[in-house]
Amino acid sequence: MALTSHVTEAAFVARRHKDWADLELLTRRATDKSLGALEIHEVTRLSPLYRDICADLARAQAARYSAPLVDYLHALTASAHSVLYALPPRPRFTLSLRGKKSAFLAFPRAVRAHWRTMFLALLLFFGPFLFGAIASLSEPSFAFRVVPESQLRPLVEGYAKGFAAGRQAGEGAMMAGFYVNNNVGIALRCFATGVFGGLGSAFYLVQNGLAIGAILGYVASQGAGGNLLLFIVGHSAFELGAIVIAGGAGMSLGWSIVAPGERTRLASLQAAGRDVAVIVSGAAIMLLIAAAIEAFWSASSLPSGLKIAFGGTWLVVVLVYLIFAGRGEEWVRS
Amino acid sequence: MHAPLDTDVAIETPEHIVFRHRLAGPARRGIAYLIDVVACYFCVFVVAIIVFVAAGASDMMERMQQSYTSTMGLGFGLILLLLFAVQWVYFVVWEAWKGTSLGKMALGLRVVTTGGRPVGFGGAALRNVLRAADALPLVYVVGLVSMLVTSRFQRLGDLVANTMVVMIDRARAAAPLRLWPPAEPFELVAIPERVTLDADERTAIELFLRRRGTLGPSREEELAAMMVEPLVRRHGLNLPRTAGERAPSPSRLLALLYERAANAGRGEAPASSRQPREMERLSWR
Repeated sequence: MALTSHVTEAAFVARRHKDWADLELLTRRATDKSLGALEIHEVTRLSPLYRDICADLARAQAARYSAPLVDYLHALTASAHSVLYALPPRPRFTLSLRGKKSAFLAFPRAVRAHWRTMFLALLLFFGPFLFGAIASLSEPSFAFRVVPESQLRPLVEGYAKGFAAGRQAGEGAMMAGFYVNNNVGIALRCFATGVFGGLGSAFYLVQNGLAIGAILGYVASQGAGGNLLLFIVGHSAFELGAIVIAGGAGMSLGWSIVAPGERTRLASLQAAGRDVAVIVSGAAIMLLIAAAIEAFWSASSLPSGLKIAFGGTWLVVVLVYLIFAGRGEEWVRS
Repeated sequence: MHAPLDTDVAIETPEHIVFRHRLAGPARRGIAYLIDVVACYFCVFVVAIIVFVAAGASDMMERMQQSYTSTMGLGFGLILLLLFAVQWVYFVVWEAWKGTSLGKMALGLRVVTTGGRPVGFGGAALRNVLRAADALPLVYVVGLVSMLVTSRFQRLGDLVANTMVVMIDRARAAAPLRLWPPAEPFELVAIPERVTLDADERTAIELFLRRRGTLGPSREEELAAMMVEPLVRRHGLNLPRTAGERAPSPSRLLALLYERAANAGRGEAPASSRQPREMERLSWR
């Protein structure tokens, strides 16, 4: 074989092994703890050591040194690489209320950028919602086809009592846990299943819309509708809004595979994924707010006028926020 | 030593170095996931027991007849929050923070982007929210099918977030092979000045020489004899044919061949133009 190096493997190792051991130690400490655990002079040492081991690896391969050595250098290069190279810089969102990088404004901008699927999600949710409500108002037994009777009867009894007693503190905490677990889970699932061409999201939207509408209609037909409305008026802007938004984001994800435009389907899916991640995070936060209101406010014994005003205010605030916040500055689709 | 397999993925760095990551397949990832799930639900279980004990104690102390106390409500709320965290938060936090999770750590797995870089918070969140789609219709069937049809064992979450799960092997530095005792003139009679082994031959001899210590002497010579025969034919070695002449044993012959191929024409300590690293850096400051 043509000699590409005039150094024997033993001499090569003897000359370089100290640097390798140093790099191995630094890399291990950086991965086990964090890069911040290293001293400044160690961090500055890391990149020359990494460049050197890249050269060593190339040299060892070209000189056909033995396989264990090349493997060792490979592994060391790989682990040092993952320490040194972070993700490519992307605009990091800040918590400020102004500017292009504001996370507070990025959410409504992203929602508006996907207004078509959001509108579709709105229809897919509130269409069945209205249908379920009207159907079970006119024919209460319709609700039993959507939601089991065993679940509906206790609801009627519960809401018939009204909220004079309020909720015990412990019960509120338990319900908060329940709402977070259940509702945020539903919204995230509604988003995730959108990856199947949007079909999963559409299914969840229709199913939830129909069920919620049917429950509302049934409870109203049994004469406890006023109390139920009073209960949901406080948090419905956040809760139903977030489910619609999550479903819309899921359908955007699915649509990116169905109609990828000039990209490959995979590239289109990944671009859409980066885009809608903001929307899903925002929807999750909306649902956390909804869970807090639902657990500690909606079932309280406050006067009904206050509850209606509270709910109405939030509905307006949410709508104005989603439609107008951060207008003027373009949302850049990645 | 592992040859490039189709379960390896090559990554070219900005330094124009290509290194390989070994991909983790469904089996390993499944086991890692099981470990994670068991660990999580064990924690939830422990909290649940504490809650029940606390609720029972407070119930007794307050002598309340109703089974429902505020402690119990708080406790149930906590358990439900924990269940939520197990499903949706646990993996995101671990992977964004460490690039791995408890189960993955136990199996030496790591989540990286397809470019070999660490996965950020966005990527970790996306790939783990999509678990809900991968887990359909049950026990991750969709994810499994997706892993089997993609080249990098990616489930849907990996595809959307552009990530993959690789095995981090921390290879140990192995000492280079040395010829011992040094070659004697009579041994080198049969060996040409230049020996050119191809990659397969080199690897075979190398693996044999590294295993030599673990074999019995007769087995060692037996294996070596099987390897020497094709080498002799290909390189036209003229081994002594009569019994009177001293000849190296097959095992020794392999070591000599390897030494010639790897080290002939190479020196131990050539003049180097490289300055020691410490000096270079001091001069920058």
